[in-house]
Amino acid sequence: MEPLAPHEKIFVDSEILDDENHGEIACHECHGGNPDDPNWKTAHEGVVKDPTYPDATAACGDCHDEINENYQNSLHVTLKPYRLTIDKRASTNPVIRDTVERAMDNHCYYCHSSCGQCHISRPNFVDGGFLDGHLFMRKPPVQEVCTACHGSRIQKEYFGEHGGLRPDVHREKYMKCEKCHSGEEMHGDGKEYANRYEVENGPKCVDCHKGIYERDAKNVITHRIHKDEVSCHVCHSQPYNNCSSCHVGKDRNDLPFYKTKASWFDFKIGLNPLKSETRPEKFVTLRHNPVNREIFDFYVKDGLSGFDNVPTWKLATPHNIRRKTAQNSSCNACHGNESLFLLKKDVEDKEREANKGIIVPAKLIPSTQKWQPK
Amino acid sequence: MLNTKVGVSVMRCLRWFGVAIVFCLVVILGNPLTGQAYEDTQCFKCHTSAKQLIEITREIAKTRPAAKSEEIEGEG
Repeated sequence: MEPLAPHEKIFVDSEILDDENHGEIACHECHGGNPDDPNWKTAHEGVVKDPTYPDATAACGDCHDEINENYQNSLHVTLKPYRLTIDKRASTNPVIRDTVERAMDNHCYYCHSSCGQCHISRPNFVDGGFLDGHLFMRKPPVQEVCTACHGSRIQKEYFGEHGGLRPDVHREKYMKCEKCHSGEEMHGDGKEYANRYEVENGPKCVDCHKGIYERDAKNVITHRIHKDEVSCHVCHSQPYNNCSSCHVGKDRNDLPFYKTKASWFDFKIGLNPLKSETRPEKFVTLRHNPVNREIFDFYVKDGLSGFDNVPTWKLATPHNIRRKTAQNSSCNACHGNESLFLLKKDVEDKEREANKGIIVPAKLIPSTQKWQPK
Repeated sequence: MLNTKVGVSVMRCLRWFGVAIVFCLVVILGNPLTGQAYEDTQCFKCHTSAKQLIEITREIAKTRPAAKSEEIEGEG
């Protein structure tokens, strides 16, 4: 994604006046400031850069009341998975916990979205800037918005930006994010979910691939045998990006920074850490997260004294689906193939306790098959 | 006498008719007038002028410190 020059970020296209829905709302009605003051410095006193975060009611709520109400609980705003994960890992000492929360404020909670940061500008995480001269975009552009944040994993995987790996087959069919991730899903349905896998109107492969278990479907035997045993991604993902070790702190100018070690592409099948009625599979793909016990040491020692309460490898749904993959080329490409599974030896000593529930014991690795369905 | 009363009634009707027309004109023309006012604000004039924005952002860049730490390393 090309960076924008500073003036491009705030250039307004006068075509906005032709927008029959938003063209009659004056700038100051949403952003504040003094529209009659010719001095830009004083005119901007009290200006709100993004009037849609944290509360979009005043800016959007009058017309988009239902979306506005639901959006307050969407994962893009609540960042609930971060909060819940840190709640489980953080020290129970209230003083240390408060310090961890402050660190989270500095480093983690700015990674949210808002109405404006999807439909008007690039997200703050990538330094903002209007998408198209402050014109309102009903469907956010993929690369300026979606993968601007979901870049190191989804973008690299979906577009095949890693040597030797192919783009997602859906990408080759020119499918954009919104084809699977609808506006309704993005805006939320008003319920507060703990993570994206619980979201009721989130995408499921079988929403489109409805007939895979039907008698005359291609590969029906394979699909039926593995139904509820392995996730779709176990058979149909290519290797995906994993991150490790993150350290956060503030530099001499008091600016927050993070340092992560080099990421790596890998493919690991583990035991499902989020087994549920909607995700009953025993085996799923797991991705290593950029987290470590000392992540907040700059702020406080032992901030994550409950580090072992949550696995560092988490359920992943890599966005690099192929119909044919190395592991589904034959039964025994996977069955009996230890290298595909997250074993004890694949997990660092200091993380073994945290991951004990998802490491695959040798006895659970499916044994090699003599028979192969046609 | 009768003619005078009819004349007064007609005049009253016409007056109300006139008021209604003026009201409609205000409603119909009101919107373009609002649009015009919006275009005339300092915000709009400046933010639609690339030249002015380049000058101002250069001025800001000279005085405002970097917003992102140079110590950031790796993928976020």
